[in-house]
Formats: sequence, structure tokens, C-alpha cells
Amino acid sequence: MESGMGIEQRPLDIVSQRITDTIGRLFDIARPGAVFSEPVEAEGYIAITAKEIVTGMGMGLGAGSGEEPAGEDGKPGSGGEGAGGGGGGYSYGRPVAVISIGRDGVQVTPVLDATKIGLALLTAWGAIAITTMRMRRFSRRSLG
Amino acid sequence: MQAQDRLHWSTEQGEVIEKDGIRITPESRSLTIRWPNGGLVWNRPLAVVVDRGGTTERIPIVDVTRWIVWGAAGFAALVFLLGGILSRRK
Repeated sequence: MESGMGIEQRPLDIVSQRITDTIGRLFDIARPGAVFSEPVEAEGYIAITAKEIVTGMGMGLGAGSGEEPAGEDGKPGSGGEGAGGGGGGYSYGRPVAVISIGRDGVQVTPVLDATKIGLALLTAWGAIAITTMRMRRFSRRSLG
Repeated sequence: MQAQDRLHWSTEQGEVIEKDGIRITPESRSLTIRWPNGGLVWNRPLAVVVDRGGTTERIPIVDVTRWIVWGAAGFAALVFLLGGILSRRK
């Protein structure tokens, strides 16, 4: 394949370059601009939301080719090539706080994730309940 | 790729926002882990620096949800460990 520069580029090189570019863009979210929203002005106040972001990504590709050796009858062997790739990623964001600027100064109000807190408390309660039951069972056995 | 390129922990300041003579600068902290053909970024808000006519104040942004979740997990782990230790002693 001919590129604009006149240098031959294999499809695998192009894909590899695209992967590098995509991964490069992943690290853009490390900037503060990704965490703080654009300021919104209403009724004399400016509000900014602050969020936590986690993003992970992985990609891979490979290619190979081979040729069958020529046969005894002198016929050239067949050849073939193949390439494949795959990737996966994960992204997660959660609002942490709202920053408001107004007549009464600057205020930082935390945002609570009720679902996450509820699930964590339920899991903790379950673990504590199982431990308590085990301890009771053990002490009954010890007394018996 | 050097170790510092693979693992990077940094605190950065965002764009300054101004209103009624109050200048606020948001701060964030990010952890970046890179590996060949991949990577991971964890970015979170850290604080806002408030400047009122030369008086600077730093207001931390506390992630209450994370504190509660880790607190509950820590408490459950502690109970689990203590339960195990007490059961063995008896």
C-alpha cells in the first residue's frame, strides 16, 4: 500500500499506528479538564461538577505468513498469510462533588452514590452476619 | 519504555474560573499506568484553591462515597479476622 509520502506501508503497520493513536487519546483523560465539568451559570451562581474517572484499555494484534515447500514434481508450493487482532476496555465515571460559587462564597457539596453505599453496607452486613453465626456455632460445639 | 513512563502519579491544576472577584482553581490527581498497547488512567478531583483578593484558601474535595464503601469493607474484614482469631482461641 502506498502512503502519501510514497513509502510502502503494510496494513498491519497502519492498524498498529491506529492502536497507538487510540491509546494515546486514552491518556487525555488524565487532564483536570476531564474531571471538572464546564462551569454552568444560573441565578447568580456558577456550578461545576467534579467526577472520578477510571479508564483502562488493552489491544493486541499479530500477523504471520508461510509458504509450502515446492513439491517433488517441481511445482511451487502454495502460500498464505493471515492477521488478527483484538482489544478490550473499561471505563467508569462517578460524580464526587458539586462546586458552587455565588454571593455566599465557594461551597463544595459531596455527592453520595446511594446504590454503591447500599450495596457496600449490605455486603459488609452479610460478612459480619456469617462471621457471627460461625462464632456462635463454634462456641456451642466447644461447650457441648 | 522507562519505569516513570509506565507509572505516573501527578497533581495538576485546571483552568481558573473567576466570579465576583473570587478566583477558583480546580486541582486533580491522576494515576497513569502504561503498558505496550494499553494502559489505565484513574483521575479524581482533589481540591479547589480559592483566591479572594490575595487570600488563598484550599478546600479539599472529599469523596464521601469512597470513604463509606472502604470503611464498610474494612470493618467487615476486621470483624471477619477477629472472629477467626477468637474462634481459634476458644
